Amino acid sequence: MRLFRHLLFALNSAWQSFWRNAGVSVAAVISITLILILAGVNLLLGHALAGVLDSYKTRVSVISISVSDQTPLATVYDFKQQLEADPRVAGVTFVTKDEELQRFSADPRNRDLIANIEGNPVPAKLEVHVKNLSDVDAINNLGRTWRGADRTDPTDYQGDFIARMVKLSAWLTLAGYALMAILVVVSVVIVMNTIRTAVYHRRQEIEVMKLVGATEWFVRGPFVIEGVMTGVLAASLALGLLLGAYRPFVERFRADLFFIPLSYDPRFVSTLGQDLFLGGALLGAMGSYIGVRRFVRI
Amino acid sequence: MAFILRRNLPWRRRSGAPSHQTTHLSVIAPDFSGRTVISFQHVWKRYPNGTDALRDINLSVPEGDFVFLVGPSGAGKSSLVRLLIREERPTKGKIFVNGVELGRMKRRKLPHFRRKVGLVFQDFKLLPQMTVHENVAFALRVLGESRQVIDRRVARALDTVSLHGKLGKYPRELSGGEQQRVAIARALVHAPRLMIADEPTGNLDPATAWEIMQLFLKINADGATVVMATHNREIVDLLRRRVVVIEDGQVVRDDRAGRYHEALQASALRA
Repeated sequence: MRLFRHLLFALNSAWQSFWRNAGVSVAAVISITLILILAGVNLLLGHALAGVLDSYKTRVSVISISVSDQTPLATVYDFKQQLEADPRVAGVTFVTKDEELQRFSADPRNRDLIANIEGNPVPAKLEVHVKNLSDVDAINNLGRTWRGADRTDPTDYQGDFIARMVKLSAWLTLAGYALMAILVVVSVVIVMNTIRTAVYHRRQEIEVMKLVGATEWFVRGPFVIEGVMTGVLAASLALGLLLGAYRPFVERFRADLFFIPLSYDPRFVSTLGQDLFLGGALLGAMGSYIGVRRFVRI
Repeated sequence: MAFILRRNLPWRRRSGAPSHQTTHLSVIAPDFSGRTVISFQHVWKRYPNGTDALRDINLSVPEGDFVFLVGPSGAGKSSLVRLLIREERPTKGKIFVNGVELGRMKRRKLPHFRRKVGLVFQDFKLLPQMTVHENVAFALRVLGESRQVIDRRVARALDTVSLHGKLGKYPRELSGGEQQRVAIARALVHAPRLMIADEPTGNLDPATAWEIMQLFLKINADGATVVMATHNREIVDLLRRRVVVIEDGQVVRDDRAGRYHEALQASALRA
């Protein structure tokens, strides 16, 4: 019951303090809203890019090892088993010469070529699905040194491309984190300053609280709640604006920004909402917690 | 010098004051078997600018005592009060209140300590946006007390200071004396055994100041120990209570039934 009364007091004080310093509070909410919108756009772009990168990664993480026509089937199966036992490998598929020819013929670009050749010139293949992009190189080496591989063109590995993909992916992730870190620092500073103003406005009350024996958290609690309130309000605004603009923006700019794979993903909306609310509340709590630790001492 | 003076005072011998005053700094905590409420042992307070606000203060206040702290402005009275309520820590030495050493008290224990001490200041420290009732109730609201408990204790405290008819008034609608009564009532809601007042009559006219002093006397008569820093010469002279003179950060005189001017004169002569 006592705890409930403390909570009620803190909520009441936070609400009053928020409106007593309405100018500063609204400015803080707007600033955090803008920051959360930036964070939201970052998340949306990150999500879109991640989708494209994933599909590329899936494609390049499969390498084909061409099997020499002279290699006995038993040797091929032995090597297949060896690969399957490798922890870096997700799966191996054996494609026979006939299957490979069928695939080759199915591609309209090869139609003229097929018409002019006799027999089956394409080799059988082992398609190896590698778990991590960074391990493709090692598996490629394994394939190339295998004595059953076709000597002229042992694998279809494109080392350069994969290395660039891995690098690009790492840089994009890093850039995303760096942007997020900057946004976190900026919002924490904004909330801290709001709390400093609130503490200044309530300095008399804080002094009296200390004198009559209020605990440190009794004094600090309302400020932390005020910070969380600021964050959550900003998150609601940011989410509303982002949701309102998401679909029209994607439809309007999809053609113009062809280099960015824009797409509307309704499933991502709930994730975005969760992230923004959690982020807003956490930023508010963090900023105000640091603020009260600095400015409210018993 | 200070404790030599105190050691020879007849009243202190009668009251059986603890012997720690004459011993050295390294003594263990004195015997607080319900007798000594406050004890300063070789207390120094140096501020970051290098000023020594208090220098080797030794002072002992037994339970039920009424002590005036007097001295010129800047002598160190307010520093002493700030140390006493643990708003600041001593640079050197030890301060015991009810047997607890304040310098070692953990921060989370501080609120519990302050609830046992009634504090009254010259500027009243009332919250202007709250009524008389709310101001006094605030001291209990921060503890999460129920409305029934708050109402009962606030009514009792306001009765003690004879302000029951002004429950709904705001501080700005009250006279200085009435505002100080509200502040005293707020200090009283926790039923403290120790009242500390820093210039409580500093902003009041002589007649009102006298009324406020009557209240403190009543609180003292009910058993609470009172420590009051003051400049009010008439009151000190009239009441003839214990007077501790602080000058230049030191206790220079400690009279059981002192007078303001006598105390200051004597210390001036000695200088």
